[in-house]
Amino acid sequence: MQSIIQNILNGTMMGCVYALIALGLSLIFGVMNIVNFAHGEYVMLSMYFTFWIGSLWGIDAVATPLITFPLLFLFGLVTYYLVIHRTLRQKYVTQIAVTVGLMTLLRAVAQIIWKAQPRALPYSVIQGNFVLGDYTIMLSRLVSALASVASILLVHLFLSRTWPGRAIRAASDDLDAASLAGVNYAWTYALAFGLGSALTAVAGGVLMAFQQVDPTMGLRFGLLSFCILALAGLGSTLGLLISGVIVGIAESLAMGLWDPRARSLVVYLIFVVVLWLRPRGLFGRK
Amino acid sequence: MDSRSKRNRLLSWLLPLLAALALPWLFRSNQYNLMLLTTVLLYGVLATAWNIIGGMAGQFDLAAGGYLGLGAYTAGTLLLRWNITPWLGMIAGGIVAVGFAVLVGYPLFRFKVREVWYALSSAALVSVLRVVFLMWENIGGPTERYLPFHQFSLYHLRFGSYIPFYYIMLLFLASALLASAWIRNRKLGYHLLALGDNEDAAEVLGVDARTCKLKALMIYAFIIGAVGGVYACLYGFLHPNFFSSSLSLEVSILGIVGGLGITYGPLLASILLVSARELLRASLGGQLESLYLGIYSIVLILIALFRPQGIASFIRVLAARLRSRPSRSRV
Repeated sequence: MQSIIQNILNGTMMGCVYALIALGLSLIFGVMNIVNFAHGEYVMLSMYFTFWIGSLWGIDAVATPLITFPLLFLFGLVTYYLVIHRTLRQKYVTQIAVTVGLMTLLRAVAQIIWKAQPRALPYSVIQGNFVLGDYTIMLSRLVSALASVASILLVHLFLSRTWPGRAIRAASDDLDAASLAGVNYAWTYALAFGLGSALTAVAGGVLMAFQQVDPTMGLRFGLLSFCILALAGLGSTLGLLISGVIVGIAESLAMGLWDPRARSLVVYLIFVVVLWLRPRGLFGRK
Repeated sequence: MDSRSKRNRLLSWLLPLLAALALPWLFRSNQYNLMLLTTVLLYGVLATAWNIIGGMAGQFDLAAGGYLGLGAYTAGTLLLRWNITPWLGMIAGGIVAVGFAVLVGYPLFRFKVREVWYALSSAALVSVLRVVFLMWENIGGPTERYLPFHQFSLYHLRFGSYIPFYYIMLLFLASALLASAWIRNRKLGYHLLALGDNEDAAEVLGVDARTCKLKALMIYAFIIGAVGGVYACLYGFLHPNFFSSSLSLEVSILGIVGGLGITYGPLLASILLVSARELLRASLGGQLESLYLGIYSIVLILIALFRPQGIASFIRVLAARLRSRPSRSRV
């Protein structure tokens, strides 16, 4: 029993980070109806940027999003205008092909620059555990979960309270009507793609506080966030957070109680079953 | 005129066939080159089969590695446990792959999982299979299972040279190409092409999308599962890494770059891209192991953006130009 609750605690904390990653994907998918297969690679990339900044300038991993956030935003804009922009009116096969190409390209670039061995940052200010009765909580994980929830909240406020945020939501509901109301779709798309990529910077930063990074881990984060997106459906930030936590807990329980190798098994099974049974997700409104 | 075009048609597949038959003889002194040729053919088979589900039916399947691994494990396990020849094992492997494809494909198509979500769930299946075989110690497990070595044994499908494997692969390639061309000119093929073009429109016109897609998936899975048996014998061992998501990706890349729905397109792409990959690997070594992946990706992005018909369309343009020249002079 104790280990079950401990695993649930760990899974909840990881799930918050996963939800943040999936939020970026959901922004992009919701607005322009393109699933960015390279999304996991953006997480991998921001983890490497964090690694670079952390090891070159000695900045703590948790603080690096201050630098990597604008960096990834720019990177998102560049990929949007160079590649994604051209696929908007194409068939979906082209869209998948292009983002799959982007995914393998980024992975290849990472392998060439950073080589295959895993990299990790030597230290983080937030270290150690604190004990809560029978349970121990890793401080680094708690901080990253809190940072993720805070970022999700900020994005939610941005989407509901500011004009550009509302433009994004309007464009994802009905592009034509939004255009009539004065939403410039080209700008909105670019903004959504940039923001969607930039959110991975926060996730990458907090993940580097307790994880290492290698060039092949992108696909795992990619599939993880597709799974969360499928579970949550489009349009509900809270639903995304809950789905992230569900997936995090499922993964953590599978690892802790069954077999460490089973972590991905459980995630993919959830994914496939959800696609079969509830194609709109649990909280989707579209 | 008719007999002439018929003769041209005959030549257009007879000449490549003769060339393919003669190639190993040219390269017989160098096992590395033979391996390269065999690998090109292997990817040619995989990509040609992918074309049926991905190119014609328009379902972006990313599970090639899954079916390949299932076929390899079926044939390999039959050989190891009961000493059953891989020739039968191949068929068994194909059947197992088809069984799995139906098990997975039926609900997917039933619940109208398509486009991106189909691609993602098929990619997820490869990872699921890999983990299952890692954990399933009786059949898989994390260590390699070596097949018995024989210098030359047709029964065990084990050879000390790549030449027999080359011809076996060639046989597979010919069958895959024939199957693909045969389907294309039948009702199923037209239905699939219509589905690939616009699924909703095709369904309105009375195409039974679910059945057609399932049939295409079954044919594709059977070919890849059967090749899996040769794959196991070619490499001489079984390992859960056979369920490879990067191989699945590569196969779909070849299919798209080659030309969706064009029978010989994926083969063309395999000849160009796989040999380029192997040559790069050989010349640059482990130092830039992943350079080829980058080149693949850039080619894929460029082709997808600027030439969605694939590189086979270049050949078509060329052939059209060749054909039109003499006729113009006659007029």
